[in-house]
Amino acid sequence: MLDLLIKFQDMDRRWVFLGMGFAILLPMLANITFGFEVDERVQALYDEVEALPAGSTVLLSADFDPASRPELDPFFRAHLHHLFRKDVKVVMVTLWEFAPPLILPTTEEIAGKHGKEYGTDWAFLGYKPGKELAIKAIGENIPKTFPKDSRGNVTTALPVMQGMKQAKDFAMLMSVSAGFPGTREYVLQIQGQYNLKMGSSCTAVSAPDYIPFYKAGQLFGLAGGMPGSAQYEKLVFPDGPPTSGPAKGERLLATQAINVLNLGHLFIIALIVLGNIAFFITRRIEDQG
Amino acid sequence: MTALTTIELVGCWISLALTICILSFLYEDNPVYKLAEHLFLGVSIAISVVEIYYGVMKPNLIEPLLGGELLSLVPLVLVVMLFFKLHRKLSYLARVPIAFIVAAYAGVKLTGEANANLMTQVAQSMPNLSQLWADHGIWDWSADGAGVFSGIALVLGLSACLLHFYFSAPHKKAMKYVSRFGILTLMLSFGASFGYTVMGRISLAIGRAQEMMGLDKAPAVAEQVHPKTATVLLTIAVIGFLVVWKKRQKTA
Amino acid sequence: MKRTVPLVVTFLVGMFMIGEFFIPHHLYRVWTAEFLVWGLILAAAAFVLGLINLIQVNLPKVLRKEPDWGYKLIMLLALAGTLVAGFAGGQDRQTPGTVYQWIFDYVFVPLNATMFALLAFYIASAAFRAFRARNLDATVLLAAAILVMLARVPIGESLPFIGDYLPRLMNWIMDVPNIAARRAIFIGAALGAVATGLRVILGLERSHLGD
Repeated sequence: MLDLLIKFQDMDRRWVFLGMGFAILLPMLANITFGFEVDERVQALYDEVEALPAGSTVLLSADFDPASRPELDPFFRAHLHHLFRKDVKVVMVTLWEFAPPLILPTTEEIAGKHGKEYGTDWAFLGYKPGKELAIKAIGENIPKTFPKDSRGNVTTALPVMQGMKQAKDFAMLMSVSAGFPGTREYVLQIQGQYNLKMGSSCTAVSAPDYIPFYKAGQLFGLAGGMPGSAQYEKLVFPDGPPTSGPAKGERLLATQAINVLNLGHLFIIALIVLGNIAFFITRRIEDQG
Repeated sequence: MTALTTIELVGCWISLALTICILSFLYEDNPVYKLAEHLFLGVSIAISVVEIYYGVMKPNLIEPLLGGELLSLVPLVLVVMLFFKLHRKLSYLARVPIAFIVAAYAGVKLTGEANANLMTQVAQSMPNLSQLWADHGIWDWSADGAGVFSGIALVLGLSACLLHFYFSAPHKKAMKYVSRFGILTLMLSFGASFGYTVMGRISLAIGRAQEMMGLDKAPAVAEQVHPKTATVLLTIAVIGFLVVWKKRQKTA
Repeated sequence: MKRTVPLVVTFLVGMFMIGEFFIPHHLYRVWTAEFLVWGLILAAAAFVLGLINLIQVNLPKVLRKEPDWGYKLIMLLALAGTLVAGFAGGQDRQTPGTVYQWIFDYVFVPLNATMFALLAFYIASAAFRAFRARNLDATVLLAAAILVMLARVPIGESLPFIGDYLPRLMNWIMDVPNIAARRAIFIGAALGAVATGLRVILGLERSHLGD
């Protein structure tokens, strides 16, 4: 018995990897769905965006890369649909060098579906390195920081940028953030100084760090990780994947994935519980022996 | 739905092949993984440089200089001084631009942290007990446990955590119990963090699995790509390679 | 002079940037905005320095055919190819159909995403092998982790009897002990950042000068 338990605890980790692989693939093949509730932070985020009047302009900082795409891209897509549906104008920037080839084609696709014109209804000003310095510069003077947009147009000549010189001139700042630099740096550097209305979608790893900002009123809403993106998708598309209109064809990947997360989490919990049971029984036998 | 071009179809299959090459690391470090890893390194650095050029160098330095903005000579001189870091004898010249950037970051970070982390967070930690009592009483399940108890628990937990990190006073007698309470609060927080981290990590793997199953594409596109077939065939190919490679290693 | 000038620059620039927070005058802000843009340019230039260093280190290894030179050659070829594709594409490089966008979509995206996807498997292995409830602290950590994992997914919410309370208990953990601990860490980190920032600006900390 003792030998078996020790063998179990010292099992080749590649069996654990295989188990994890099955825990992810099987729910996808079985296609079981569960309902889920929307939590208060995501609801607050949605409500604030929903309350934006048509014609207002939002500053959207899309700071993620392909690694964090499964968690944040569903939110990003749903959020763009939400904004364009409400005839809200969007000015996008990014602080991550791998974001532009990811976010620009997505935005062009979704803006095109809503009949939105570049320069008038939306613009992508581009990427800036420098982390906190870039954020501070965005807070101070956007045309100085981005003299030209990603297409080479002079920023001040764009109709969507008329009257928008600093971050505080926008109706709200939305940070879609995969880590550093991102939401935290925006809150530290410019949210407080300019009293910006700011919301965030972040990865699950960062969510516990940003909850204090939400509770302190520095963020009006927070969508954390894949569940947060799935909940936001549920609010923007309450009838499920849209079959008509500009959003036709949206696959709501976070909503699909939430069902896979179920089994993944149960697998991890089972590993922890089984590992501990084996550990305690082994220790007891060794103490008695 | 427009048909995918050959190059796009090839691209989809290459994408799946590279995914499986990286996943082969779960078995063991091997040549296909190393190939994919070095490819990743080269491509990622190149993409960073290209985006940096078009994002900063061209609009903020080159174009203003060509437009006659004399003030842009200052950052140009600083950039040239920075590149002297590669020169053995004149590398000390790089200290000036490095000093500039470090000081700029230090100044910006100092005020940002002091205002948002110190002042705002401390201010928000003082609970309005009368308001909490009026809204939620001692404990309100419907509001996720909000109430006077939670308000006091938050302040006590925060104080205990801060005192735990204060190592100038020995953790004996009363400080010992305060420190223990602080540690338990930290453990609850880190446990919650671990739960979220697990969720985050599994989400990343789910994203790859969605591509391998073709769920990230429209059905019409997935029919052209055959991602499941591609995944199976490419996995067999990589496993076959690994078997041959292991045999050669054993004989060698 | 070699050390004094950088120290003086550090002090002047640092104090000027701190002053931005307290001096709202528009002329002052014009110059802080200018300094911030110079900082961005230098941050970008530092990256290019890294690229040059990478080539300096790896190209001789390829030429001398040192161990693993084949992989380094692939890295340098991929680097060169992507750079050419990027600069050739110009301002329109991110248009679907360009070589640069193809490399990004079908080479970089799967590589970057899968590198991080490996973490899911490693976290499963770590949970099985290392996560032991050896004492009260570890047990509390474990219990909180299991509660959050169960409550964050629909299956936890659907459990009989406890299904209603799990998400509320999880939200309580996130709203009370998590905030208490995070705020303590933020406050400590903020004090540390203020102290370190002042040390750098006042020249007490000189490691950035290579001392």
